[in-house]
Amino acid sequence: MFIAGSLAVLVSLALAVIRAIRGPTVFDRLLAANLIGTLAILLLAVVGFLTKRPEWLDVALVYGLLNLIGTLAVLKYFRYGSLAHAPDDEGA
Amino acid sequence: MEGAFDLAMLVHVLSWVLIAGGSFFILTGALGLMRMPDVYTRLHAVSVVDTLGAGLLLAGLMLQAGPTLIALKLAFIGILLFFTGPVASHALAQAALHAGIEPKLDEDRRAEAAGAQPSSLLQTVRAPKTPRRGKVKARHRQRRKNT
Repeated sequence: MFIAGSLAVLVSLALAVIRAIRGPTVFDRLLAANLIGTLAILLLAVVGFLTKRPEWLDVALVYGLLNLIGTLAVLKYFRYGSLAHAPDDEGA
Repeated sequence: MEGAFDLAMLVHVLSWVLIAGGSFFILTGALGLMRMPDVYTRLHAVSVVDTLGAGLLLAGLMLQAGPTLIALKLAFIGILLFFTGPVASHALAQAALHAGIEPKLDEDRRAEAAGAQPSSLLQTVRAPKTPRRGKVKARHRQRRKNT
């Protein structure tokens, strides 16, 4: 059962990687990267159960937090061209 | 004694069903990411993974873990995904719109909706006669020629 779940997650990861390579715009790639992060969290959880070592759940939690921050940071960079300045000139 | 065995069996089967459903929705979302034609539609497909897929899979794992600290950690992961997925999706859609990427539309009726009065819009919706639609299409063609 855990093998089936981890296989599903791995196949989805492969599809997301293909989209990240092929995606026409940068937003397609970012979407695929975000999905890869989510699937990595799920894969960590399922494989932790598969190998009977659920300590990896802590790693999955930290990875989830970093995933959100990374996505938002890259989005901000592509929207404003810089990470340092406050977006007050754009009226966002 | 037998009742306890039945309960354990029930929990086992239920977690099986939940993990299988979660795997199905994860595969569906990834397939949508491959097959959809547009950034926004792909976003729509991927949100299935963040909500249903991850939720069902983590619920199944929680049933396997039982009432332990592991289940609590799984619940925390679920809550984290539940809140951060929509935030990331919203930011992505907003950034894509801001970058000038247009959604792929079957028929662009935004100019019509902006120019028409609400009553006439209602009429358009209520009377889907063929001559009316033909007129609308002719107007579209005219507009395209003018611009």
